[in-house]
Amino acid sequence: MKSIIQLVVNGESVEIAVEPNRTLLQLLREDLGLTGTKHGCGLGDCGACTVILDGSPVNACLVLAVQARGRQVLTIEGLAENGNLHPIQKAFVDKGAIQCGFCTPGMILSAKALLDTNPKPSETEIRTAISGNLCRCTGYQKIVEAVQEAAEVIQSTEVS
Amino acid sequence: MLLPKFEYHEPTTLEEALHLLSELGGNAKVLAGGTDLLVRMKLNIDKPTHVISIARIPGLDAIVPRDKHGVTVGAGVSAAALSRHELMMDRFTPLALAAGRLGAPMIRNRATIGGNLVNGRPAADLSPACMVLNAKVKLKSATAEKEVSVNEFFRGPGDTAIEPNELMVSINVETPAPWSGGSYIKLGARKTLEISMVNVAALLTLKSADGPIADARIAFGAVAPTPVRAYGAEEFLVGKEPSDEVFQQAGEIGVGLCSPITDHRGTMEYRCMMIEVLTKRALKQALERAKSWKP
Ligand SMILES: Cc1cc2nc3c(=O)[nH]c(=O)nc-3n(C[C@H](O)[C@H](O)[C@H](O)COP(=O)(O)OP(=O)(O)OC[C@H]3O[C@@H](n4cnc5c(N)ncnc54)[C@H](O)[C@@H]3O)c2cc1C
Ligand code: FES
Ligand code: FES
Repeated sequence: MKSIIQLVVNGESVEIAVEPNRTLLQLLREDLGLTGTKHGCGLGDCGACTVILDGSPVNACLVLAVQARGRQVLTIEGLAENGNLHPIQKAFVDKGAIQCGFCTPGMILSAKALLDTNPKPSETEIRTAISGNLCRCTGYQKIVEAVQEAAEVIQSTEVS
Repeated sequence: MLLPKFEYHEPTTLEEALHLLSELGGNAKVLAGGTDLLVRMKLNIDKPTHVISIARIPGLDAIVPRDKHGVTVGAGVSAAALSRHELMMDRFTPLALAAGRLGAPMIRNRATIGGNLVNGRPAADLSPACMVLNAKVKLKSATAEKEVSVNEFFRGPGDTAIEPNELMVSINVETPAPWSGGSYIKLGARKTLEISMVNVAALLTLKSADGPIADARIAFGAVAPTPVRAYGAEEFLVGKEPSDEVFQQAGEIGVGLCSPITDHRGTMEYRCMMIEVLTKRALKQALERAKSWKP
């Protein structure tokens, strides 16, 4: 039986009827058309479906839509402001941390969750933070560099 | 990967949840973090017709210290919360360390301690850690309540002492005695997202900073159908002066208590070697922490 849930997605309140067996990933991609969140393995292994739920990164493929009732969800679509890329997004582009791009939304959200709580992470902390996000193209090095650069940019813009 | 259909319940009190469980029993599954249940449902291994989420029951996700005597950890506390909690890291070190090694960050944000224990997987990270802390789990049904030691909780792969009409409410742990230190070592082929090939939890209590061993507890995961306590190795250590040699011997005794298998994660011979090495290493780390114990 469908139930009506209300949640906040990228700052906007959404009200929608969902079946209990619908995942948050399906809700985002299929009902709201937010296809930036990717469907990889569906089993929690790859991190392509990473979104930030009430401040913490989670695998949207392992969260029921009904479990997100009343909660705040941030997807990759919610990062840019007034058409300007978020510093992490910009650093990924500048550093060449994107090849096919399938892992990128998840990587960026894991990086954002890290920098929100730990603005000056060590390389190890960065690698741990993205350890649930698999990338089959880049070999991770450029991704790590992009997160380091983004951390510096965010720091310097906050100081000035 | 689609989920089959089911009816969803979201009780907001413990009473309501227990009532639902007693009514629906075997047809229902409790949903905590969902990192195991939803995977099993997608793979058609578990096919509950009812799913009871416990995420909106207040208090289940709290870590409550009981003076200096111990701590009550709600069954719904996440691995992430356990790994970041100062008191847990300080006094209940094996559990905080094990929680920090479970899966990857996104999994840790959802995975609960209750789900980890009820799963009853031989390789689960939190089980050996709870065992060396002599943790007790509180199981509640609509009509009764009982406490079971985790050392008696596991019966076989995926099989534990909990009944279908029971909910795990909390995990109670006594604070280890003064001059105690703990450790947790997980061996997998990769650093994250790895089901252990061998894991070892240890807790060592000294008579004083440089004293002999007053108490030793060692538990292994992934080496037998259930996680196991290495009682023989523990008894061997009690009363001895801590040294590399006695830790090595404890590791050798430990190997004899295990029945590891060969699978795609590692061979039996390799696992046995690792049990020996990791026991020694875990005891050494526990000793360092015990020596620097602070009131
Ligand atoms: C990608 C991935 C990596 C993983 N890596 C690890 C790892 O490294 N180490 C490890 O140990 N595990 C790992 N796991 C398994 C899983 O994440 C853990 O076992 C986790 O702790 C399960 O908790 P949960 O809250 O998600 O459980 P759920 O999936 O919600 O529940 C698991 C089972 O326990 C029952 N249950 C849950 N809570 C209660 C309760 N309070 N009372 C009664 N029954 C209850 C459920 O009905 C279900 O049968 C991994 C899983 C995935 C998907
Ligand atoms: S699609 Fe969710 S982790 Fe792979
Ligand atoms: S860029 Fe292709 S998977 Fe990461």
